[in-house]
Amino acid sequence: MNRLKTGHIVEFVLWVAFAALLYSFTFDFDQEIEIYKFGASAWPRVILLLVVVAATGQLLYHLKRGNGDSGTFASAADDESGRTAAEQHHNTPRWYLATFSMLFIPLVYVLVPEWIAAALSMDKAGLGTIKIIVALAALILFLFAARGNPIGAMLTLPILFAVGLQDFGFYALAPVFMLGVMYLMGERRSARMLVIAAATYSVLLFLFVSVLYVGLPTGNVHPFYDFGTAMVTLLQ
Amino acid sequence: MNVIENFLGGTYALFSDPIGILVFLGGVLGGMLFGAIPGVSMLTLAAILLPFTAHLTAEHGIMLFSVIYCTGVYGGAITAILFNIPGAPENAPTAFDGYPMTQKGQAGKAVGAAVMCSAIGGTVSAIIMMVATAPIANWAISAFGPPEIFALVFFGLAVAASVGAKTFWKGWLSILAGLLISIVGLDPVGGIARYDFGMPYLLAGIHFIPVILGFFAVAEIFVQAEKKVTGAFKAPKVGVAFPSLSELLAHKIAVVRSIFIGFFCGILPGIGATLAAFMGYNEAVRWSKKPEEFGTGKLEGVISSETANNAATGAAMIPLLALGLPGGALTAMMVGVFQMHDMEPGPLVFLTSADLVWVVFAAMFFANLSILLIGYLETRTIINLLKVPFQFLAPLILMLATVGAYAVRGLSVDVVAMFVAGVVGFFLRRSGYSLPGIVLGLILGGIGEQTFAQAMQMLHFEWTGFAGRPIAFVLIIAGFLTLFSSIYGAFFKKRKMPGA
Repeated sequence: MNRLKTGHIVEFVLWVAFAALLYSFTFDFDQEIEIYKFGASAWPRVILLLVVVAATGQLLYHLKRGNGDSGTFASAADDESGRTAAEQHHNTPRWYLATFSMLFIPLVYVLVPEWIAAALSMDKAGLGTIKIIVALAALILFLFAARGNPIGAMLTLPILFAVGLQDFGFYALAPVFMLGVMYLMGERRSARMLVIAAATYSVLLFLFVSVLYVGLPTGNVHPFYDFGTAMVTLLQ
Repeated sequence: MNVIENFLGGTYALFSDPIGILVFLGGVLGGMLFGAIPGVSMLTLAAILLPFTAHLTAEHGIMLFSVIYCTGVYGGAITAILFNIPGAPENAPTAFDGYPMTQKGQAGKAVGAAVMCSAIGGTVSAIIMMVATAPIANWAISAFGPPEIFALVFFGLAVAASVGAKTFWKGWLSILAGLLISIVGLDPVGGIARYDFGMPYLLAGIHFIPVILGFFAVAEIFVQAEKKVTGAFKAPKVGVAFPSLSELLAHKIAVVRSIFIGFFCGILPGIGATLAAFMGYNEAVRWSKKPEEFGTGKLEGVISSETANNAATGAAMIPLLALGLPGGALTAMMVGVFQMHDMEPGPLVFLTSADLVWVVFAAMFFANLSILLIGYLETRTIINLLKVPFQFLAPLILMLATVGAYAVRGLSVDVVAMFVAGVVGFFLRRSGYSLPGIVLGLILGGIGEQTFAQAMQMLHFEWTGFAGRPIAFVLIIAGFLTLFSSIYGAFFKKRKMPGA
């Protein structure tokens, strides 16, 4: 009886490919250790082998049972998210493709400015300008891709925020990020959004910067850096 | 009586220290609140707080987590009963009968029973923990060498793999994924760099804090965001009236049975409160003369589930403190707290920091008792706080997680790692993998490999050497039995879901 779905095969292939890739890397550190005859690579290799065994078991299981899960106890409580996703077509190949390509936008920001700066052999100030331009481009790309895929946008926005943190600083990005999250979660009342974001921002900064002296990233791109340091001076 | 003296000493140390009292009260209220809010759990709170425990003493840090554990397990019962939304998986069976009781207009009685039984289960469990942990630790010091610890890790992972995920195979893949993450960095014997890809960030190993924050704070938000967007998120309604307690006495047997089940589940690595609640409920159905009444609003269902999940909390501390092995996601985070203070949990903690242990024990005892008090006084307040719309709560939680991930080492790469872990966790959870399983693999992987290497050196690389060490041998056999019986079950047996 063949009850396999494409998803099951993709899952199996992904696991095996992942294991094979990591296995090939074990040769990089396949060194002898004098006091330990299994060396540094035996443990990872056994685990990777077990990954393949378990992925095969999973495939055989689906072959026999289809998607129906015999279930373990904990899964009964934790199952609802999967069901909702299925009902709302958030698991079509098209959706996955759209979402995963959106998740690569932050990578653009991480890699491209360095490439451009290296190609044009720029100084630090020039790199800052390039970074602002690429960040804007990434943001526009994101906004374009986000239309019609709020879940993908919800997954991508935090990563975009995180990769920008080093350059633009927590102080400037946090309010924008919070408003973005509220919007993506369906909130549209702008006055309420602004008040709550401002309140959350103030409480967080007071608690962590003024009371606990946590050094949050100030950014290093002009003028964001100046804003970040001004905030720190103000608060501490 | 040594235990009583120590307990009084711990109590005095706890309540004579203003910061200690603050941390205790914060943990009690925070655990209850995060346990109750659907979409976040006590694990979310614990993950957010984990980086900041570096500012607390080790004593206060561990105490905070143990208190959150006790009251968090209770908190989820409120929403399970009132709105059929379990605050956390360990409260799911409470909803089977709790919500029908609400529909019949008996919400107050159900919440009252949950308060009472959580307190009883937790307190009894805390008492057994106080009496039993030190002797077990003493015994472990002499009886447990590397082969035994490795065997226990193996057994624990085998059990954990069999229960947490959608299928047995996904349980194993989750554990193995965690083990793989733990490989990144320097190998424990020769100090050889593995999977570092030339990056200094990876050379130090993937830090567990971003991973834990990503899995338990960020991924939760994503799951809720999806529900919200797809319109499946229900805002809770409010209303509760409190009951008399006379009926509880009629369910003595259910309470005692669930304490036993809960304690047994808690002490086994990898099982914990969730399975305790399901098994407590299941046994109640099995023992009952009228099993068909369960699921229609039977008080015994709520009692069995809520007693069992809190009874697991004290028991879970025993393997952590006596053997240094965490059994679940929350106890794994406690290992993190220990490590941030340059300590290793394990039997030696009793020798080197007995004060810490007894403050923690006293705190857990009083946290369970305080469920009784605060449960009656504050349940109404908690329900009102639940009205805070999730779209306003989510940015706050994400901000706290960001600050937390950054604060550990001052690296914004950790924030990126956290959100990437959140996205990965979101997809893994959707596909039925077990996030606690991955964290357990991550935490136990290092211990497992190190003790395995030491054991093999000790046994002169003879596999048969394990057979000469009875405890290790029994644990390994038990691990394989668990493994094979689950494989058998996964392919050949039809298992009926409890409450389904």
